[in-house]
Amino acid sequence: MATEPLADTTALQGPAGWEEEAEREHVHGLGPWRLGLRRLRRNRVALAFGVLFILLVLSCLAAPLWAKHVAHTTPEENHLSDTIVIDGKKTNVVALDGVPIGPQYLKADGEFFLGADPNGRDIMVRLLYGGRNSLMIGVAAALMTTILSVILGVIAGYFRSWSDTVIRSLLDIMWSFPVVILGVALGVALARGGLQIGPINIPGDSLAVPIFIIGLVYIPYMARPVRGQVLSLREKEFVEAARAQGAGPLRIMFGEIVPNLASTVLVFFTLLIANAILLEAALSFLGAGVRPPNPSWGTMIDDGVERIATAPHLTVVPGLMLVLTVLSLNVFGDGVRDALDPRAKVRLEH
Amino acid sequence: MGMLGRRALVLLLAALSMSVIAACGGDDDDGGGDGGGGGAAKSGGSITISQTSQPDFLDPALTYTVNGIEPLWLVYTPLLTYSRTGDAVKDALVIPGLAEAMPTISEDGKTYELTLRKGLEYSDGSPVKASDFEHTVARVLNLESGGSAFYLGITGAQDYIDAGKCDGDIKGIDADDKTGKITINLDAPNGSFSNVLAMWFVGLVPGDTPCKNLTEDPPPGVGPYKVTESVPNRQFVMEKNANWPDLGADLPGGNVDKITTKIVKNAQRQAQDVISGELDYMQDPPPADIKPEVKAQYSDRYREITTSSTYYMFMNNRVAPFDKKEVREAVNIGLDKPALARLFAGEVAPGCSFLPPGQPGYDEALDTDDCPWGNPNDPPDIERARQMIEDAGVAGADVTVYGNNDDPSDKVTEAYADQLTKLGFKAKPRILDGGVYFQTIGSAKEAPQTGFANWFQDFPHPKNFFFLVDGKSIQPTNNQNFGNVDDPEITKGIAELNTEPEMTDEIAARWGELNKKLVERAWIAPYGHRKLATFMSERMDFDNCSRFHPVYFNDYSSFCLK
Repeated sequence: MATEPLADTTALQGPAGWEEEAEREHVHGLGPWRLGLRRLRRNRVALAFGVLFILLVLSCLAAPLWAKHVAHTTPEENHLSDTIVIDGKKTNVVALDGVPIGPQYLKADGEFFLGADPNGRDIMVRLLYGGRNSLMIGVAAALMTTILSVILGVIAGYFRSWSDTVIRSLLDIMWSFPVVILGVALGVALARGGLQIGPINIPGDSLAVPIFIIGLVYIPYMARPVRGQVLSLREKEFVEAARAQGAGPLRIMFGEIVPNLASTVLVFFTLLIANAILLEAALSFLGAGVRPPNPSWGTMIDDGVERIATAPHLTVVPGLMLVLTVLSLNVFGDGVRDALDPRAKVRLEH
Repeated sequence: MGMLGRRALVLLLAALSMSVIAACGGDDDDGGGDGGGGGAAKSGGSITISQTSQPDFLDPALTYTVNGIEPLWLVYTPLLTYSRTGDAVKDALVIPGLAEAMPTISEDGKTYELTLRKGLEYSDGSPVKASDFEHTVARVLNLESGGSAFYLGITGAQDYIDAGKCDGDIKGIDADDKTGKITINLDAPNGSFSNVLAMWFVGLVPGDTPCKNLTEDPPPGVGPYKVTESVPNRQFVMEKNANWPDLGADLPGGNVDKITTKIVKNAQRQAQDVISGELDYMQDPPPADIKPEVKAQYSDRYREITTSSTYYMFMNNRVAPFDKKEVREAVNIGLDKPALARLFAGEVAPGCSFLPPGQPGYDEALDTDDCPWGNPNDPPDIERARQMIEDAGVAGADVTVYGNNDDPSDKVTEAYADQLTKLGFKAKPRILDGGVYFQTIGSAKEAPQTGFANWFQDFPHPKNFFFLVDGKSIQPTNNQNFGNVDDPEITKGIAELNTEPEMTDEIAARWGELNKKLVERAWIAPYGHRKLATFMSERMDFDNCSRFHPVYFNDYSSFCLK
């Protein structure tokens, strides 16, 4: 892969620029990725938040373990008429007047650690499973956005002609809608009948629906900057050289240009996950995202809002998990961006 | 402060404030309106009340939910109606409304003659004519209203529907605008037809009212109030109708001048707003976790009333797996009624009978030990139910459970889905908006398998409940027989008993037998009967101005400020 220093230093410079940085830092012989890793290791704040994010992910991944071995229930199971023993005394999970049990922490050996919801479901179990759903939707949606944005951005930026016009117009139309409004509209429309893509039928209550919606609405936010970079990269000598060697458009796009986009894409990807998780929470809160009885942090916040005066933890705890996850992703994403190129100005413009 | 810190703080504040903002809401509440001035003002002023979801329709021909009926019966008065005196026994009897007197009924029970009162005007000042009655009935039929079934017994009603013309003629209704005489001919005698004539569906509207849903611009009517503003899913406003005539003490006018009804999804917020005075009344009871506080601290403006209602799960016997009798029986056996009752914060008494307390033919024993599926107050026999489902060969079948997003229907639906899962199905809830729920499950195209349903009496006659399980009432849209129950023996029994002109003890007992048969055949799965509540703000004169009507629940015309 040929490299060239980019004349425009406001964009990411790519590997050639990294060589200049390496020279400045007196670490000759280090490749650009190792240099980036070295910078990242020095950024203690970013690392700390990265570790926090990993811990949050691991705790959510451990949801089945908690559910099976500690709480002895599932996230959907109602315990309306059940009782538990607390301090040797039998207590209704949901009282006759409909008030559910509050946080028990370790009083009942971990069962109903954070209490129960009005249906008698274990809140801690739903919180962890909700985290799995929220994270999965966030990552999958970000992945979908990234793949489609790179494809569209590269095609638009490389060919320019009518394909650029069409793609750019589509992106502009999508960009003109506020993300939440577009997401809610799609969510409500797809909730009833589901999604039909050719022979594939996705039911309305599937998690694939919010993944599709969120993945779709964020495409313009990444595709446009990618296109901008491709417009610049296609003029470089290494692209000319590849063309002169007989490389076709596909080879040039995905063999020469896309690798030079790697660091941009990586930074966008981490930021996108955070935004996707937030959007999922917003859509679920508004009833247009994850469908019951599947939990997510957004649906839990929505359920808890009704009882905020008497049981604020139902809203605050999932809200806090959401804050910590998005914060840690954003800080870590900033750290990755700074590590790969301190002069880069990559951000998701709303 | 650096960029990182600033961004982190913004994120933190945004997320933590999300719940507070959501709980407070962003609505432009205008508070409770002006009061009655100094001293105890019984008449005048404005109040603001709330409902949890938008009425299905704000059109008298179409509405069939408490949300719509409770306001609209004060806007559209039929030929016959019920008094509004506060005497529960008296108010349950049909009296003349816009008709001069009770109908003269022919010996064979098939002809009803009434005369319209003279000098009546609609809220827009236009005169009320006798011929308006036929058009009012025509709208109900033409729009395929949920109430159409009540009027299909009028001679020529089916022909009118088949012709498909709004301004068509219903042969069985003759009206003379000069004399005000109205004659109604029925195909067969109907012992509850006076009650049917007192339903809000046939609250008179002008003869040129179009045959379309007028929710956004309700037509004029004759009632103590008129609807002056309708913004679906936000609010609607009723104001005193200056053209309401003096019809005597039994049918008084309204007290307050203006009633603004806001649609507020969050029941907790509604309760908080009533406590703080931002709202003057909430239609639904306060939610479970705030009820103890309301009962303890605001007992002087809170009251629970037992209603003639039944909560049940419908099971569509035209759709698998509920087309099998043993499956429906298994659901009745396995349904955890005490568990579902908890979701209503103690406002539902577990039950088994389809006819509720207060209805002729109701047998309390059927709601306890005589229930064929086990005492509804006891835990269900889940093992037996599971075995029955396995033996029926439907274990593992996919089942979609329909419910709406009004509290606690959504929670009940999720709990029911969980219970069906425990019985061996793969059940998932489908929660729809309350404003469209009943239209959706009442559509043959939707073909819902099972789901949440409830019924509050339209009038104190068992026919009003059996209409929900009458094979003759099935229709392709706005169907109220959600399970498509079409049992020939029950349909025949309903038809026979409905011809009886008087509700004697013997007739009541026969309705009771029919109720028992319905329950034993497991066409539906009743699980309880509900109490409703009246909860008002400090501004309201709760002791003197909070009538609860046996047919139409909270009587807004009685509301007044202190």
